[in-house]
Amino acid sequence: MSVIDILTRVDVICKKYEKYDVDKLNADNVSGDDAFARLYASVDSDIESALQKAEAASSEKNRAAVVALNAEIRRTKARLLEEIPKLQRLAVKKVKGLSKEELATRSDLVSALPDRIQSIPDGSSTGAKTGGWTASGSRTGIRFDTTSDGRFDSEYFQQTEESNQFRQEYEMRKMKQDQGLDVISEGLDTLKNMAHDMNEELDRQVPLMDEIDSKVDKATSDLKHTNVRLKQTVTQLRSSRNFCIDIILLCIILGIAAYLYNVLKK
Amino acid sequence: MTTQDPGKLMAKADKLTKLSFTRWNADWKNATALYEQAAVGYRFKKENEKAKEAFEKASKGQEMISSPWDAAKHMESAASLAKELGHWNEVSDFYRKASELYRECGRSQPASDALGKGASALEDTNPDEAVRLYIDACEILEEDGKEQMAFDLYRAATSTYVKLERYTDAATLLLRWGVAADKCNAVNSQCKAYLSAIIIYLYMHDFQQAQKCYNDCSQVGAFLSSDQGRCARKLLSAYEEGDIEEIKRLAQPSPITHLDHVIIKLARKLPTGDLKELEKEEDKETLDENDLT
Repeated sequence: MSVIDILTRVDVICKKYEKYDVDKLNADNVSGDDAFARLYASVDSDIESALQKAEAASSEKNRAAVVALNAEIRRTKARLLEEIPKLQRLAVKKVKGLSKEELATRSDLVSALPDRIQSIPDGSSTGAKTGGWTASGSRTGIRFDTTSDGRFDSEYFQQTEESNQFRQEYEMRKMKQDQGLDVISEGLDTLKNMAHDMNEELDRQVPLMDEIDSKVDKATSDLKHTNVRLKQTVTQLRSSRNFCIDIILLCIILGIAAYLYNVLKK
Repeated sequence: MTTQDPGKLMAKADKLTKLSFTRWNADWKNATALYEQAAVGYRFKKENEKAKEAFEKASKGQEMISSPWDAAKHMESAASLAKELGHWNEVSDFYRKASELYRECGRSQPASDALGKGASALEDTNPDEAVRLYIDACEILEEDGKEQMAFDLYRAATSTYVKLERYTDAATLLLRWGVAADKCNAVNSQCKAYLSAIIIYLYMHDFQQAQKCYNDCSQVGAFLSSDQGRCARKLLSAYEEGDIEEIKRLAQPSPITHLDHVIIKLARKLPTGDLKELEKEEDKETLDENDLT
């Protein structure tokens, strides 16, 4: 027989003998008669809706809407916390058709409710924004092994000396690794701070550089103009005509001087 | 020219400026030149008192021939000489005058520089005046939109306040620094300024103020999600729980180590006072939270 056949057969048998299923009948009746179950169901649905609102609040951009949602969540939480004593009283009451175990589980459920209600994020514990906390939480909680240590059941696991040693070495190495990572993280923090400061310093110097740029441009253009004017003046002064006249006059003077020198020598 | 006796130069210059029968207009131009030479000569000979006077007169001369830039420069030299001589009120006067002259030229940066120099000169002897000068310098820069340059001034002013143990003033100044940093998008400096303010409030053992300050600063998104904001949150929660070890542990690593060393010293001294008092105040607050509004 294949699995599918087995399943269909089981379904048919279950349907046939449904009327003998006490638990199911009880469940159908219970939701009608049992006040505890009704109240519990309503509290449960309130918690669910509050959680949904909390999710909406965390993804909402409009801060006013976030504040309003958080206020609503807080109101719901307070109301639910008030209902818990009622639930506890109902849980202890004996209802026909319920076993003793069920009663115990009911009181457990009720005691678990306050924790569930408190854990609904309403923005008051983390200062109206949970972004920072979750980020820090994930940063400090890096885990490399998925199993939590020490959950080894003594029935299924017997420790030999070797495995003990191995575990110790593993712990030591993990500690050393953690220390090394701490050192690295400190160094990175310092680097980050320095980088930020450098960034700001550069931002500060950008307008100064612009000023320098424009001033130097002005200075170079002034210099160019001056150079051109200087060139014009110098060429005027040293034009070839004046130059030749200077040389000729100089030769004449030298000639006269030489003539006089000769005359005087004689 | 430099070999001439500065005294003679001064006398000559004075003659040029004094109005008398024969002279109807003071010849400031020549007089200024002579005053400058005399001042340089005196400084060379280390006669500070006379050099200072010469610089003052030279500056006045420059003002008269309407060149405020040179006048301001001479004022600054006179002020530095006054600092060496120890005439502290003159120092502050001269630097203020120099700064005004720079502002006349329309150059705000040298104006605030002059005030900053004056403030650092007066830090030891007259810290109140020094702080006033620092704040004026910051205002000059902020008017001109050059807040970036004001950071150093804010830092110096804050350390002076802390030395004077005027912690509320220091915290207020830090918040002003935060505003200036915000205007020029210097997020890191802004967050550091806010964290420093919170630490100062905690040092003053004023937990309510610190809490309020943190709430105000959280309005700024950048601070909330920054390292500094996280550290502030942890610090405040550690204070709420009264956990001394936690506070000491938090004060060790960065980002507190990246703050100004004056603030680091304060942070190392945390927690001050009795944490039990804070716990009592906290109980009142938790009751209010249960009250539905």
